[in-house]
Amino acid sequence: MHIPDGFLSPEIAAFMWIISASMLSWAWRKAKSTYAHSLTSLLAISSAFVFIAQMINFPITYGTSGHLVGGTFLSIILGPYTAILSMTIVLLMQALFFADGGIFALGANIFNMAIIGGLSFFILKLISGENTSSKRFHFGVFAASWLSVVIGALACGLEIGLSPIFSEAGGLIVTVPAMLFWHALIGLGEAAITTIIMSQLYKIRPTLLSGLNLMRRTLYARDS
Amino acid sequence: MREIAKAVLLMLAGFALLAPFASQFPDGLETVAENLGITEPEPLWSGLMPDYTLPTIENPYISNLMAGVFGTLVVLAAAFALGKTLESTRNKRLS
Repeated sequence: MHIPDGFLSPEIAAFMWIISASMLSWAWRKAKSTYAHSLTSLLAISSAFVFIAQMINFPITYGTSGHLVGGTFLSIILGPYTAILSMTIVLLMQALFFADGGIFALGANIFNMAIIGGLSFFILKLISGENTSSKRFHFGVFAASWLSVVIGALACGLEIGLSPIFSEAGGLIVTVPAMLFWHALIGLGEAAITTIIMSQLYKIRPTLLSGLNLMRRTLYARDS
Repeated sequence: MREIAKAVLLMLAGFALLAPFASQFPDGLETVAENLGITEPEPLWSGLMPDYTLPTIENPYISNLMAGVFGTLVVLAAAFALGKTLESTRNKRLS
């Protein structure tokens, strides 16, 4: 879903940079006030994991592939705000060193993957909410990770569809359904991988899931 | 530190095993663009290792592997630095 340079009009690219920059500064403040010291090793490891996992494309169908994005994964391990910053690092390094995603398009890519990915935590919270039982939690993880990819693809479809190079080829009416179609499928891969990893961690090392603990803490706070 | 080293080695080993099976098909966005007859414009900045390959290494598997190792270490270091920064700003605020 990484948008290369040249796909977006300068106006859209600049607009997305402004949105992403202001959301990043918000996430930075929120991350700072909720950050636990013990999280740093986990932050480093999970960011590196997301980078390496993104290099492995899985085939979907009709000669198309996808790969894990990992926004929901990070948000459950690190909490939503630190997850946004972590994914931004991954996207920045991909753009700088590997030309995966453009520099001008980075603002849009940060919005589509880092911000939507991190905020997908609240979809999980909405679904498992008061009840972090294993069944509700796993369903929430599956739904949140699928939606994180689909909503990201919707944003991407809007951004490219409004840019001249794609609007001459049909615009939003073509780009939005096409992006949604492919990423509804790719999202199933994302959801399967995220749910499998989380169900293992939930069983073996639930203390690693800061996001889950965050949900439980707010639950306890309300109870007492 | 030891824990981080162990985790990274494990991830890279997993990557080395899975990389040969990674799909070379275009991704979702590339397919959408291709179907509309839109070709990706020449990038203004092509990075040091475009498409996760080291231009100097001929063997595609080794080249991709090296790019993966490099990227993993860079992301690891940057995320670690982010964590340390978040820690220190938190300290100042609390003391």
